[in-house]
Amino acid sequence: MAHITIEYIIMLPVLILQILLFPLAASWLMNVWVDSRRTLALQEVASHIGSSIQQVYFALNHATVTAKIVTQKVDVPPFIENYPYTGNATLKSVLDPELNSSKVLEITFRLVGVGTTVKTMVILGGNVVWRESTFVSNSTNACITAEKFANGTIRLSFGG
Amino acid sequence: MEQYDCLLEVKQEMAGSTIDHLISVMVFMGALLVFISLFNQTLQTAILYQRHRYLATKCSDLLDNILLNPGIPADWGKSNVTPVGFGLQDPEFTQYRLSPFSLMRLQSSVGEPVYYSRTGLTYSNITMGFGNFLLVPYTEAIDYSVVAKLLGINGTYGFQLAITPIVTVSIEEMQWKNPLILSIKVAGVGFPLANARISYCLLTVSEGGGGPYPSYTVEYGANFTNAQGSVLLKFSNIKNEVSYVFIVYAYLGGLMGMGYYEHVTYSGSYIIPFIDNFAEGRILIAHSYDVHNIGDTAQVTYNATFVVLTKSFTLQSIPVARGNLTYGLGFPYAYVTIPENVRKNPGILVITYRKSTQETGVVLMPWGISSLAFPAVFGGDPTGQEWVVADVRQVIVNGIAYQARLALWSLEGYGVVAKK
Repeated sequence: MAHITIEYIIMLPVLILQILLFPLAASWLMNVWVDSRRTLALQEVASHIGSSIQQVYFALNHATVTAKIVTQKVDVPPFIENYPYTGNATLKSVLDPELNSSKVLEITFRLVGVGTTVKTMVILGGNVVWRESTFVSNSTNACITAEKFANGTIRLSFGG
Repeated sequence: MEQYDCLLEVKQEMAGSTIDHLISVMVFMGALLVFISLFNQTLQTAILYQRHRYLATKCSDLLDNILLNPGIPADWGKSNVTPVGFGLQDPEFTQYRLSPFSLMRLQSSVGEPVYYSRTGLTYSNITMGFGNFLLVPYTEAIDYSVVAKLLGINGTYGFQLAITPIVTVSIEEMQWKNPLILSIKVAGVGFPLANARISYCLLTVSEGGGGPYPSYTVEYGANFTNAQGSVLLKFSNIKNEVSYVFIVYAYLGGLMGMGYYEHVTYSGSYIIPFIDNFAEGRILIAHSYDVHNIGDTAQVTYNATFVVLTKSFTLQSIPVARGNLTYGLGFPYAYVTIPENVRKNPGILVITYRKSTQETGVVLMPWGISSLAFPAVFGGDPTGQEWVVADVRQVIVNGIAYQARLALWSLEGYGVVAKK
C-alpha cells in the first residue's frame, strides 16, 4: 500500500507538472521572442527617423540655404504588428568635452498599447532648437519639419 | 515459505512500478529540455535574422549620415580643430561629394604608423610605394573612437569606412630614354575607358644647372585613349636617364581618375614630407635617414613645387621652396608652406631632391587625398566579427570618382534577449 501512495501522491503530480511546464515554457519563450521582435522593429524605425532628422538638419545647415521650411515624410511603417507608435524628443546640451558645442536630440519611441520603448540619440549642431511635438506613426501628417531662420537657427519638430 | 514468496512478489512489484515512474519522469524532463532547446534555437534564428536586417538598415543610414553632411564645423578638414559633428561632405557642394581635406585628416587603419623621433610624434601613414607619402600626425588626425562618439555608436557598433578610386590609371615605362615612352591605360570597374581625354604633366629633374638645388623642367600635354583605353606617349627630349614624375588625369563624361609614375636615379637618401599644420598649409620635410635610420646619410638638396589641376583640366605648377637637409640631432628638418592663395584647393606637393648631378629623385605628397587618388581606410577591423554588413555609395572627391564602402557590425552580442 505504501508504494502505491508514493506513486500516486508524489509521482503523479510531478508528471502533471511536467505536462503543464510544456505550454508554460512555450509561452515564456514566445513572449521573449515577441518582445524582442517588437523592440527590434521599433529600434529600426527609431534609428531611421533619427538618421532622417540628422540629414534634414545638415541639409538645411548648408551655407547656401537661407531661411526655408522643409517637411520630410519618413519612410517608416505606420504600425508595428498592428500597434501604432509615438515619438517624443528632448534636446540636451552635450557635457562630453569632445562633443563640446553640439547638442543631442534624444528621441523616445513608444509602442502604443504594448508599452515597449526605445531611445535613439542624434548629434546636431549648436544652432538647433526643438519644438515640443509628438510623432504619431498612424497619422496622415507624420513627418519631420525643419525651419531655418535668417539668423541660422534651425527649428526641428515632428509633424502629425 | 509461501509467506516469504508473497512478500518477495510484493517487493518486486513495488520496485518495478517505482522504476517505471522514475524513468517516465526522466523522459518527460528530457523531452521538456529538448523542446525548450529546439524552440529556443528556432526563435534565436528568427531574432538573428531580424537583427541582421536592422544592422543593414543602420549601415545604410550611417553611411548616408557620414557622406551627406560636412560635419561641425563645416570646414574642419582645412583646419586643425577636432570636429564636434562628424561628416565628410565637401561643404562647398551638396550630394555625395566628399571633402578631400576631411578625408586626409582620418587616421589610417591600414598603414604602419611612422614615429619621427625629432618631433616626438607618431604619424598616420598612407604610403603608395616609394616616394608617395601622406603622413599626418596623430595629434591632428581624427581617430576611430572620437568618430564613433560623434556618430553616437560608441560601444554599440564597430565600423570601417573604405574610400577607393573607381577609375584606374596605370602607367608603364616602355622605354626609359631616347625617347622616353610611357604607356597609359585607363580603366573603370572591369572595362577600359575608350576615348577618354587625358591631361598630363611631366616634371623632369635636370642634370646640373640651378646652382646647388635640383632644377626641373615641366612639360604639359593632352591626348585621348584609343578603343582599348590606352595611349602611348613619347618624350623625345629625354636623351639620358633622368629622374622624373609623370602625373596624368583622365576623364570621360563625368568620370575622372588620375595616375602617376616616378622614376628616380637615386633613392639612398631622400626627402620625407610630414603634414605639420593643416590650417597654415605647413609641411615638415625630413631626411630619410632621420626617419628610418637606414640608407645613405648624405646631405640632399631639394626643390619643392606645388602642382594644381585648374578648372580647365590643365596642370599648373607653383614653385614653393628650396633648401638642403642633413640628418642629425636637434631639429634637422625644414618647413615648406603651401601658398595661401592655393592651399584651399587640392594639389600635389612635388619635391625633387639631389645628392649629386647624376643622383636625383622626386617624391610626392597629396594635398587633399584625391590629388593622387589615394585610397583611405578608416575605423576598426571587421575580421573575426560575427556578422558584418556593408553598403556602398559612388562618390566624387574633388572630381575624382571613388567608391565609399561602410562595413558595420554590432558590439552588443546576439542573444535572444538583448543586452540592457
